[in-house]
Parts: sequence; C-alpha cells; structure tokens
Amino acid sequence: MSVEKSLEKPRVRIAGVGYLNAAPLLFGLDRDPDVELFLGSPAEVTRRLAEGEADVALVPVAGAASIGDLAFLDLGIVARGPVRSVVVVAEKPLEEIEELALDASSRTSAILARIELSARRQGKPLRFKAMPPSEAIASVKGLTGALVIGDPAIDLAERFPFALDLGAAFRERTGLPFVFAAWAGRREAFTPELVERLREAARVGLVARDTLADRYAEARGEDPQRTRDYLHSSIHYAIGPAEKSGLVRFFDDAAKAGLLPETDLASSWIETGPRASGPEGTAPPSVDDLLERVMDGGRLSAAQALRIYREADLFALGIAADHVRKKKARAGSSDVVTYIVDRNVNYTNVCTTSCRFCAFYRPVGHEEGYVLSREVLGEKLQEVVDAGGVQILLQGGLNPELRIEWYEDLFRWIKATYGLGLHGLSPEEILHIAQLEELPVATVLTRLRAAGLDSVPGGGAEILVDRVRRVIAKAKCTSDEWLGVMRTAHHLGFRSSATMMYGTVDTAEERVLHLLKLRELQDETGGFTAFFCWDFQYEKGTRIHAGDHGTQLYLRTQALARLVLDNVDHVGSSWVTQGPGVGQLALRFGADDWGSVMFEENVVSSAGTTFRMNAEMIERQVHAAGFRVARRNVRYDHLTEPA
Amino acid sequence: MTNTEKTEMPTFAEVAVKVRAGQRLTAEDGLALFETPDFLGLGALANEVRERRHGDRTYYNRNVRLETTNVCVANCRFCSFAKLETGMPGAVTMTVAQAIETLKAKTANTAPPTEVHVVNGLNPDLPFTYYEELLRALAEHMPTASRKCFTAVEIHYFARRYELTPRQVLERLQAAGLQSLPGGGAEIFHPEVRTRICDDKATAEEWLAVHREAHALGMFTNATMLYGHVETYAHRVDHLLRLRAQQDQSIAGGKARFLAFIPLAFHPDGNGMRQLPGTTGIDDLRTLAVSRLMLDNFDHIKAYWVSSTPKVAQIGLSFGADDVDGTIVSETIYTAASKKAPEGLLEEDLVRLIREAGRIPVERDTVYNVLKEHPRAALEGAFKVRDRRQGKHLQILGEAE
Ligand code: SF4
Ligand code: SF4
Repeated sequence: MSVEKSLEKPRVRIAGVGYLNAAPLLFGLDRDPDVELFLGSPAEVTRRLAEGEADVALVPVAGAASIGDLAFLDLGIVARGPVRSVVVVAEKPLEEIEELALDASSRTSAILARIELSARRQGKPLRFKAMPPSEAIASVKGLTGALVIGDPAIDLAERFPFALDLGAAFRERTGLPFVFAAWAGRREAFTPELVERLREAARVGLVARDTLADRYAEARGEDPQRTRDYLHSSIHYAIGPAEKSGLVRFFDDAAKAGLLPETDLASSWIETGPRASGPEGTAPPSVDDLLERVMDGGRLSAAQALRIYREADLFALGIAADHVRKKKARAGSSDVVTYIVDRNVNYTNVCTTSCRFCAFYRPVGHEEGYVLSREVLGEKLQEVVDAGGVQILLQGGLNPELRIEWYEDLFRWIKATYGLGLHGLSPEEILHIAQLEELPVATVLTRLRAAGLDSVPGGGAEILVDRVRRVIAKAKCTSDEWLGVMRTAHHLGFRSSATMMYGTVDTAEERVLHLLKLRELQDETGGFTAFFCWDFQYEKGTRIHAGDHGTQLYLRTQALARLVLDNVDHVGSSWVTQGPGVGQLALRFGADDWGSVMFEENVVSSAGTTFRMNAEMIERQVHAAGFRVARRNVRYDHLTEPA
Repeated sequence: MTNTEKTEMPTFAEVAVKVRAGQRLTAEDGLALFETPDFLGLGALANEVRERRHGDRTYYNRNVRLETTNVCVANCRFCSFAKLETGMPGAVTMTVAQAIETLKAKTANTAPPTEVHVVNGLNPDLPFTYYEELLRALAEHMPTASRKCFTAVEIHYFARRYELTPRQVLERLQAAGLQSLPGGGAEIFHPEVRTRICDDKATAEEWLAVHREAHALGMFTNATMLYGHVETYAHRVDHLLRLRAQQDQSIAGGKARFLAFIPLAFHPDGNGMRQLPGTTGIDDLRTLAVSRLMLDNFDHIKAYWVSSTPKVAQIGLSFGADDVDGTIVSETIYTAASKKAPEGLLEEDLVRLIREAGRIPVERDTVYNVLKEHPRAALEGAFKVRDRRQGKHLQILGEAE
C-alpha cells in the first residue's frame, strides 16, 4: 500500500468573457487539468471575481475598477482604432439623437459610449435606457440610437446611416489605444506559475487565431475571412505603455463623470522578469482621503468601500454621510426629513419559502395560515384613509392558492373603494406569480399595473449574494432573479425602493457587494427611489443565529450605503427595527427619510420588534434632531410644506 | 470690529481646543456644547476624551436591585415608583426576612452578584434599626456582594426622621455594613427646577452634603442627573458644575469621591408629568457627551441601559460613556415608568453589547476594581465578533437541533 498521500492541488479558478475576441487569451485553459475555467457574460465574470468565485479573470475594465484594489496583467483585449464590436448606431446624426438604448451586457462599453457621446455633443443631454442586447438594435428609430456590443455588433455599422465605432472614437479623441478587458485578480492570486500559464495561453492562442476564427465562422455560417480580419487587425492583446496610458485616461474621464471610482493604476501592474525601474507608485489613499473624495462626489470601488466600512472612524463616516445627504437633497431642502403615512398590510402569511429568518410565515395548510378577507382589509384601509394616509404597502407570503386574477380583483377593488396608492408585491412575490401563471415577469407587471399597482417595494433583497441567500432562504429567488424583476419593473416605469437585511451569515464584503449590485442596476435604470437597511431581528420563531449586529454596525452600514449609492436619491432610517432613539440618530448618519407611520408590520413584529409611532411622535423626533419635516408620497414628492 | 462682544458664547471649535489642551470648561462652554448643531463633532470630542482615559475598556458589573419599601412621604412629580402610604393598595414594605428571601429568589439562577443595590421610598413608618438590620442581614446572607444602599435623599430623610445628623446616620449604617452610596435623588439641583419637581426632599446643598460626609468617611459614591423634563440646558450645566465643584473638594480631602456620573433620562409614563414628551435618542447622547467633557474630575460616565434602552446605551459607548451599569436582576423604578424597558440583561448580553460596540468588556466591582477583563474580541474590521462566528454562530438552528 502506498503511504504517499495524493495531495490534491486546488485548481486555479479562472473566469473569462465568452466572446470571440477573448478566445485567443483563453486558449487551451479549458483543457488544462489545473484550471477550472468559467466562461460567461461580462457581468457574470465580474461578479465571480468580486465574490471570490474566481481567482483571476479576464474582466472588463469597468468591472475591475468597481471591485478596486486589483492587480492587472499586461494582457487584455485592446483596440488601437476601430474595434467593430462596440458601436453606436442611429438613423439620425449622433449629435441630434435624444435617447440611447444601451445594450446592458457591458458596463465598460456603456461608460465609454457615454463619455464619447457627451464629448461630441457639447453637453447636450442624452437619455439612457438599458435593455437586453437583442432589443437594443430593434429600438433604433428616429431620435433613439443604440449601443451594440460583442459579436452581434460586428459589421452592424454598415447597416445604419450613422454609426460610431467606439474604439476609433476613443483613439481619435485621446490619441491612445483603448483597453476593454484585462487579466485581473488579487495580487496574491498571480503566482509566477499562473502568470506563465496565462502568457503561454496567449502565445499559443494568438498563433491559433485563424483556427479560432474559422471555427467561429463555421458555427455561425459567416465569412471566415471577415472573422479572421477581426481577430487580426481589430483586436490587439498586448498592454504596453500606450495602452496603460489609455486605461489611465479612461479611468480618469469616467471618475470625473462620476461613473467609476477613482482608480490608481501606477502600482497595479504585475511585473514579471526584471522589475521595471522608476517610481514605486504612490501610496494608497488613506481612509480620510477616500472619505474626502466621496464627499467631493467621487465614486467608491468595492475595495475602497470595504476599507471605509472597516476602518473609518464612526464619526468621520457619519460626517461624510451627512455631507452627502445634504448634497443629494433638492434645492432648499437640505434640512428636510420626510415620512409617509401609509400602512403595511400583509395580505397572507401562507408561504412556501420558509426562510430561516422569518417568524411570520405559515406553511400551506397550517391552521394559523390566513388570507385577509375583504372585510378585514377594508377596515384596515379605512383606518389609513381616516389617518390621512396616502398608500398601502401590500406584501405577503408566496401563497400558491392566490392566482393573478385574485391580485387583479383586489387591486381594482382597493383603487375603486379607497383610492390609496398601491405600493406592493416585492420581486419575490412577482416572480412567484409569474412562475405560477407561467407568464413572463413583464406581462405580470403590466397586468398588475393595469389593475392599479403603482410601485414595487424592495423587500426580499436580504443580501444579494447567492452564498448568503442559499443559507438563509434556500427557496428564495437568486440575486440575479431579484435584480431582474427590478430591472423589468423599472423599464416598465415602476419606481421601487431598495433594501438590505444583514446580520445573519453575511460578511462585510458581501454587504458591500450587495450595495454595488444595487448601484449598477441603478446606473442602468435609475428606478430606485430610496434605500433602507436593517439587521436581522433574531427572535423565537426564526431559525438562524444572529451574525454581525450592534448599533455601531447599523449606523456604519447605513452611512456606507449613503456613500456607495451615489446614484440613489434617498436613504431611510429603519427606526422600526432600531427603535426611535437610534432611528433618530440615523438621520445624522446619512438618512433623510423616517419611513412610515406604522400601523403594523407583521414580518418584523412577529419576530418581536414592536416599535410604533404616530405622525406627531415622528415629527417630534425629527424636530428634536434639528430638521424640518414634510410628508411625502412614494416618489418622495413633498405633500406638506416642510416645517 | 472693536465691539467684539467678550461675553458671547464660545464656538464649538473654541471649546474643542480647550478640551484638547486639557483646560477646564466654563458654564458658557457647557452651554455651547449643549447647543452646538455639530452633534457628530461633539460625539467625536467626547469619544476622544473617553478613549484617552479608558481606551476601549468598558465596565459592567453583576448586581442585584432591591426595593424593600415603596411607601414614600415625598411627592416627586416625576416618580412612578412610590408616593404611597402604608396600607394603600400596591404599597409594599418587606420585613428584613422577606427582603432576604426576595433577594435569594432573584439570584437563585445566577452566579452570586458582586453588588446589592438597595433604593427605597421615604417610609415614615419604619424604625431606623430596620435599615441597620437589613444591612447586617445582607452582609450575612450575601457576603460576596458589596452593599450600595440608600440615596443621599434617604440618608437626609433618616437624619430628619430619626433626629440624627447625616454624619451620625452614615456612621451607624457604615458600622452595620454600608459600603457605598448610589447616586440617586440628585434630579436637577437648581432650585428653579427642584422646587417644581420635588420640593419636599433634600435640597441640592443637603444632597451634596451627604455625599461630602460619605466621602469623608471613606465611602465611595455616585451621582446622577434626571434630565429631559422641565429643566433647560443651563440647569443641566449648573448641575454638572455643582458636582464637579464637590468632587474637587472630595478629592482634596483625600479619602473617597464620586466614582461614576449617570445621566438618567426622564420617562413620562405613569407619573405626574406624563404630559411631557420625554427625551429623544439624540438628547440622551448629547447629554452623555457633554457630561464626559464637563466632568473632568469624574473617572466614569455611565450609559444606563435601563433608562435609555440597550441600543442607545450601546451607541453611548461611542459618545463618552465607559460603563453600561450592571446585569440588574430586576429593576422596578424604570419599569414602572415604561413598559418598554427590559427587566434584566444576562452577563453574556452585556458582554456582547460591549463587544458589538467595538470595546473591551471589563467586569468591575462596586469601586471599579477589575474582576475580569474579557479578551478583546477578534473583530472583523471594527466590529465583527469572530468568536461567535467560529462557534455555533454559523450553525443553523433547524439543523443543529
Ligand atoms: S420572508 Fe417572505 S418569502 Fe420568506 S418565508 Fe417569510 S413570508 Fe415567505
Ligand atoms: S423619587 Fe424617591 S423620594 Fe421621590 S417620591 Fe419617588 S420614591 Fe419618593
């Protein structure tokens, strides 16, 4: 018997964009026994690297900048002029179009498009509308153009009267090549063996470009010569001094426009062979520098946000969040805190999901399961009307007995009888209805809107990292599904809130990633009105231990959210879970909204938190914190004069 | 430009400079701190002073509270606890034997507390020997618990009621086993307020005199302030200055002094001042912070979780406080004034509360000898309590059970 233990070496996890232009860099890695290769969309590749599911990745540079603190290898996807696979097309001259449909599959190209178009339009405003790649091309009409990316874009330019190749545009404006993607990862991940492995893949892959091109063309029935040309002359793979300068220029332009975090590349390049002489690169910015940058409107990368979250002094963090809150306020309202008179109604507690943190739900068939009758509901709604309320927040469990018609009838009845705003059904519930009815989410949302649905609450987000979701709510939708419902809702014109429930098994990194995912979707859609966070309320009936908690952590988390979510207008204090004392304090840590007058809130109060407050008490708390107060509606319009 | 008013209130920045230079603050400085809109700056400054004194160390003790009589001749308007006469419904006066029994019942399921804290109403129907017997019985039945009993208001009342001097009262009680005094009954010293809220009990001078005598007898004591009712910021500042002046004297006396200052938030439920709104979280934190800055000769500032809720007490540890009081097995004074105050926290709850605030929990005895210094939690960043994460934290109850 052999005494030697077979030491299993962990395989290095590599992710790369699955486009043709990346193929030469990835050559042979799929057959390497030491490598676990994943190919996916730019967003998915970025996510894997951010969430530690990949050690290194061939990532779009915008994704790398958002993660922050990464090392780069001098191999990537580069355009030294026309790139052909990233183009803006339109029926009218690009100086005249009013709207741009963005293929949402690549943020790098979307940011490049914004920068290049705004440079050519002398600040003339342009609306951006994110949509799936296939729809982007289809929506080109009149004054609406489109950004199209990747394989569908190749040679598209010829089919439209007006087109801008973004590789060429960048070159023309800056005189520099443009780096679309590069190998990136944590510095420790780039072992000499791995670096050699990636270089070797590129060496062989570049030689094999014709083979790759032919195979690709054959699979799609396209002209192999054109594909060969594309790989040979449109795309380049080496990142030399000029490419590095191009990347610095792009990051600078994007940071100035508030689209990407400030990124210092000086010391980020992996040096192989004799270390390049010259300055060592500047010292990384201090946490105070970072706070100052955000206060000036700069964008934070995940790495920077994490540093602030962990290291910043509590008060420095609060002061920065307070400053950003004031800056985000509409003119003349920087001392105004809003609240809404609404009521949370849980129409059913029957739920098939059994989330571990939930003490509210009852399984199907349980004797304590309920669906509110019209009488009970009517009483509650009348109370809202009598209290001067403007809407109800309608949420419930995932009850398989309630069909879409039930919701439609209910909504019509509520609208007709009480005329209240209807803020209802979190993404989880919408997805549940879509699955139950075998209808697309967009159809469900459109039908519910026709029946009276006004806006969508951001509940059920928990932590938008699937590792966490699998532990605390196995049956819940994935992060992508949650974000997908929100994307669809926003595209249909719904506004929604965004939330985060932390304090179960989540880590600080995962909370930061959650915020970044919300920020990215918000860049795309602009549909989130406000963000709320709270910690998991551990109590009898919940089936998971509490993780990171505490008042300091709550305030740090909320303040950090105010800094990271630079594109979300409002942040709400969660006094219902934190108590009025901390809720009030939260107004100095970035919040400008006190949430709702609470009639009831079953999901939280079943778990033991029972703070209640009427309008008068809310106004007193807000005044005592030194603010004026105004009532609002779901879109955060003031309904009363701030006083 | 020559007319610059010298008497104008100092700015927050000016006060901060004085604090950092170690200079003593004036009444105007105190007022400026209470009124500054720079609430976070105030918190940061108080935190600086707190960390200079104690670093991250944060104290708690394991104590048991006992009220043996709620009969009281005084008529404090803010009191939801007593104001009863013997024989009235709800009036309770325990015999010494009953008191000991109650105490034993309260502590049956806990490790023996290190302190027993007795506060009562001003009961006209008991002989002085009742208190002496009570102390002797406590010493006999709970020898490991130090006896922190009777506020200065009670001591003062005993002197009047039993025709003794306060010093004689203190000497006799000390001989019977009294070791230190709690800080209650201070309320607001200023006569403009004191006559309105509690005009028939010890005056400011009388309250301070009892503590002065106690200090001279080698007894350490504490001090409180009941705020958030009808007083102004100026009254609060005045209160703090009177305490500071007395502390100077006591320190010069060289025997004993005040250990901790405990600001108590007024709760409006169930008492004669229920028309008042009560304090808010920001006021509670502001008061902690200003107290830390004004009371430069007090070692400890306590965030009393029963009064302010555990969550506000927790953040109070970043606004100047270095103590969260005790585990308190049962407390009836605040619970009578508010249904929200929890009755007791376990030691592990307090330790967690302190750790989550990023501090080091230190168990102390009544006079702040260190009994147990907990290891600093291996924190994830500033706040993560990793030892919980490694233990059963990651287990999911449904699967573990
Ligand atoms: S949190 Fe919502 S989805 Fe999860 S079990 Fe409770 S009711 Fe169901
Ligand atoms: S506060 Fe004390 S002295 Fe005043 S009435 Fe209540 S028990 Fe009596």
